[in-house]
Parts: sequence; C-alpha cells; structure tokens
Amino acid sequence: MQLLDLRGSLDARTQAFFRHRRIGPDRTLLTNLEGQWLVLDDEDFRRFATGATEGTPVHERLRAKNFLRDGYDEAKARETIAARKRFLGYGPNLHVMVVTLRCNETCVYCHASRADMDAVETDMSKETAERSVDLAFQSTSPAITIEFQGGEPLVNFEVVQHIIAYAEEKNRTAGKTLEFTMVSNLALMTEERLAYLLDHRVQICTSIDGPKAIHDKQRKLPTMSAFDEATVWIKRINEAYRARGLDPSLYHVEALLTTTRAALDAPEAIVDTYEELGCHAVFLRPLDPFGFAGKTAKMVEYERRRYLDFYARATDYILEKNRAGVQMIERYAAIFLTKILRGEDPNFLDIRSPAGAGIGQLAYSYDGNVYTCDEGRMLAAQGDDTFRLGHVDESRYRDIVGHPTVRAMVIASNLDSQPDCVACTYNPYCGIQTTHNHKTQGSVFGRMRESNICAVHKGIQDYLFNKLADGEPHVLEAFERWTTIRAREHFLHAPAGS
Amino acid sequence: MSPPESPTTNPIAGIPEDLARVDLDERRAILDVEASLYPVEAVYGAAYVFIDRCYVLLDRPEPTKLRIVLTPKQLDEDAAEGLRRMVGELANELVSAAWRHQITQENRAQIEAVTMQAIAGAMGPPSLDDLEDFDFTDEAFEDPLGIAMSWEEKYSKKDDAAETAEPAATQREEEEE
Repeated sequence: MQLLDLRGSLDARTQAFFRHRRIGPDRTLLTNLEGQWLVLDDEDFRRFATGATEGTPVHERLRAKNFLRDGYDEAKARETIAARKRFLGYGPNLHVMVVTLRCNETCVYCHASRADMDAVETDMSKETAERSVDLAFQSTSPAITIEFQGGEPLVNFEVVQHIIAYAEEKNRTAGKTLEFTMVSNLALMTEERLAYLLDHRVQICTSIDGPKAIHDKQRKLPTMSAFDEATVWIKRINEAYRARGLDPSLYHVEALLTTTRAALDAPEAIVDTYEELGCHAVFLRPLDPFGFAGKTAKMVEYERRRYLDFYARATDYILEKNRAGVQMIERYAAIFLTKILRGEDPNFLDIRSPAGAGIGQLAYSYDGNVYTCDEGRMLAAQGDDTFRLGHVDESRYRDIVGHPTVRAMVIASNLDSQPDCVACTYNPYCGIQTTHNHKTQGSVFGRMRESNICAVHKGIQDYLFNKLADGEPHVLEAFERWTTIRAREHFLHAPAGS
Repeated sequence: MSPPESPTTNPIAGIPEDLARVDLDERRAILDVEASLYPVEAVYGAAYVFIDRCYVLLDRPEPTKLRIVLTPKQLDEDAAEGLRRMVGELANELVSAAWRHQITQENRAQIEAVTMQAIAGAMGPPSLDDLEDFDFTDEAFEDPLGIAMSWEEKYSKKDDAAETAEPAATQREEEEE
C-alpha cells in the first residue's frame, strides 16, 4: 500500500482528536473519540492533515462528523459516548448453565469440554441448579437470559425443566425480563421435549458447520449422521414455529458455524446450506483455542489470512443473495455495523469495551463453580482455575461480580488501557477477549499485534469499511437492514403486570 | 545475584549479544535491558507472564541494566530455537508492558471511571445480608489529615484533647510539635 508523504507540511492546529488507518489505495479511514467516521481520498486526507480544508467540500463533511476543532460539538460527543457505554450501568444479563458435561457427539474442536455418556457425575443436581438460578436473579440487570449448555443439555433434560420451572416461579416476584435459550446438537430431541420447550418459549440454537460432508467430518455421532439428526429437527422446529403463528423470518432455529480448515474452501456451499435450512443468519466464527481445539490444532487450525479470505467470500455471497431477495445476515458484520452505522452497542459481550466477562455474563458449571464466562469454565475443565469466582453454595452475588479477577478483566479489556487498541482506528467499535489472551499469550492483557482475535477483528472491519466506501447501493441497503434489531418478543417472559 | 554464565553462551541471530544470548549448557536465555528504557513495573509484568513455563530470575548486573534469566521448565524441541523464541516473546512483552504502563498513567482517570462504573453497576447496592456482615467496629480508614474528626476534637485546647480518644495521626503530629 502506498504511503503518503506528508513530512514538512503537517499542521495539527485545526483537527479535533482523530485516529486514522489506510484501508486501501487512495483511501484513509478516520474515526474519532465518539465513533463517527469518514473515508477520505488522498487529496482530501492531505488537506485534512495539513489544515487546508477551509473552502473545500470536505470541510463541511469533516465538521458535520466532529473532526474539526472549530465548532466541535462537545455535548454531542458526550451523548454519543454515553449511548455506546450504556451497558455499564447494569450487571450480568447472560447466565450460562452447564447442566451436564455428558455429550452424545464427539467434535474435533470440542468447545465444551465434554464427558462420555456414562459420566453421570458430571450432571448438575437440582439443588445446584436452584442455587445457580438464585444467584442469576440477584443480577442488577433488569433482563436476564439463562442459556443451557453442556455437554449436551438434552442429556440432563430433567434439570433443564427444573431450572425453567424454578426461574419462572422466581420471576413472579423478581419481575425481570426473562429469556431461555438452549444450545443443542438436537440429536436427542423428541416430540415431547420439543413441545415442552415451545410451551416455555425456549429459544433453540444448534451448530451447523456446513454441508453434510463437512459437518459430519467435524462432529461425530456414533452410528448415524450428526448433520441428518440436526437438520431433521431444524426443519421440524421451524415448522412448529410457523404452526404457532410466528413469523419465520424472525422465529427459526439459530445455527452457529465453527470454521475449521475443512470449511475454508467452501464458503458458498456453507451459505447455501444455511439458506436451505431456513436460517436467516450465519455467524462466521473462527476456531478458538478452548476445549480440545488446542490439542487438535494441527489438524483443524489455519492462518488467519485464510480465514479472512473465507470471510470475505462468504459475506460477498450473502450480499449477492440479499440482492436476489434472500433475507440473510452475517452476525459478525451485523455487530460491527450496528456500532458503525447506528452509534449503538448491541451488547455482544466479547466485542465491547470493557468486555462482558463477569460484568455481563456468568457461567455456572455442573458442580456449582461459578466462572467469569463460558471460556473460563472450559479452561477450568483443563485444570486452569484462573477464572473461577466462587461457588453457588457459599459465594454471595456481590463477592462474585466484585471479585478481583473480574476487576482485572474489566481493566484489561478496556481498550483505552491497551497498547495498539488505544491508538487503533477501530477502537470505538471493537473489543478483546481476556480469556483468549490468557490462554494464548499468558496474561489477561495479551499483545494485540500478535493476537488472532485482533487480526480477525481488524480484517473484518477493513472489509466492512471498504464496502461502505465502495458505496454500492444494494450493499448499503443490506448493511442498513442488518443493523435493524427486531426483538423476538415471543421469547421474552415479561415481568408480571407489564 | 544471577548464577555465573557458562563460558559457552551463544548469540541470537539479529540481536546484539550484549542484550540477549542463550546458554545451551544451562538451557536458559538471558536478556539484559536498559533500566532507563523500561520501568521496573513493566519488567515485573513481562517476566511474570513466563512463570508458568520458566523459572524466572531478575537481577541488576550493573546500575543501569536489568537482567531477566529464563530457564524453561521443559524444552521438548530444539533447545536453541525454543530459547530464541522465548527471548523474542519476552522482548515483545516488555515493549507491550512498558507502553501499557505509560498508557495507564495517561488514561488513569478514564480507566478508573469506567472500571468503577462497570463494577458498581454490576454489584448494585449492598443487601441487608451484606450489611449484616460489615464490620463496623474496625477503624474505617487512616485519617492523617483529621478529616473525619469533629472540630472540637481537632482544634480544642491540648488539655482537653488529651482527654479525648486518639483518633488520627494529625492530632499526634500536632502534639509532637
């Protein structure tokens, strides 16, 4: 990329605070403290850097976005920053409950530190479940989501039902906006269980790693195809939503992708698979180092550059589908674009500053141990207890969220305390994962220049800003739509009396 | 005092030998850094990152130098390559820790405000159970300026003051004067 030689002509007297990044030939992205942005060509950037914008068209564009000292709107900047940090005012809203470690599938990257099906000692008891719900309801957040995880949560369905009944009862007096989600491979679903989950408005999520060949290569189900088992139920559940009068564009099984090496050459086939299954969102998540992935890294890992090429191809393909009338979004893009285009934070806990571990989510393991997040719980399963905050039988809520580990993670994930992030153009939209830093680099702070997550976040935002700068109408229209958040109100158990 | 180096230390490609070298006999890496470039807090922070993998020793071989000696607990691979990689990682961690030290000083107010808001927002006010466990009998805090003292306690005549409890250092200092 060609560098601009501005030596000798810089004049720093007219600009307000800004950060900048070359995102392509003849393109420099500017962002400011409150997250306003502009892409300038070289001529305009030269004018900006040398304080010579007066009387040129770019002057008004810069002033409107608060990039100039003259007329700097401090009140507007303050208001925008406060809106972006609104999540700071309340505590954990996501409560991950690991009802068992037992799992009927074996995945090459297993994200969930699984146990064999006969390991009944890894089932959560009803007493531990109740203490976990008691803690969750002490959160200062007016809305809480209880997410059932495992292992495979359907293996310990009795405790899932117990948690739902206990939480619903508790909420009659607590009056929170309560939501349940379940992450399941669906192979152990039955009509009876489905009816219960639908009656209790539990949102169902699953994993689909791509077309059958790729999915079954990563996720092994003894004697049968994991893909067939999952897809049969995806279709059945979506049909049940429709039968209950729910809009299929909003109510459908959410599926998550884990991008392994085998997936990199098949972005179009993966997107097609999601479309065929009625999924309107794809989350192109790269592989992470938790669970068994560390041990099998040589088999499934890849260069982040390859992932970013895959990401661009898949997202381009989704945009083409959008143009042809197919409703589908890419979740990573939607998270960043909501911040970029709307100035709001969608509160995705791993991409915000500070991150949500401990203050936005808690994870309750089957044995009653409480962790800052699901990744902290997975590390504990491998013998690293760094992110353990207490136990449901003996710890108080305030001791858990005020734990020194949580404070360290809040400081470490504040982008204004991080080398590189502090000066990064993407600072207003980004976030870092302290558990990932700890696992891969030995400290919760990490070194962002060497971090895979940083490379992925920067690469995705480079892609998005280049698309925004290209300005193709169908892309801008799609991006605008991707940031329109439609609440799935059917899944919300509203406070009594509301 | 760090153990004496064996006479067979080897240079690391691309790094001047007086800054870093590996001692293959003792299977350790040695990095000397200029003390005026790296705050000692950064050296502690960077060295600490290695204690799960290495035995780490800090030393000051000269008044202007700080030395970090890394002895890996386990070296499975080619020792020279393994040690070279650790020196590289330590050097990067040192730069990162030094810059972070500077940033946290510059942005201290913002970092403290965000942290306090995040933790306070998550914790909420104490419950009655929490309050029940508070120990109100202990001295709440040191009060060297006598801020928590009443006007009478602070400024009354010394004869009167002698009869009052001794609440803070300021009063003692006044009496010593």
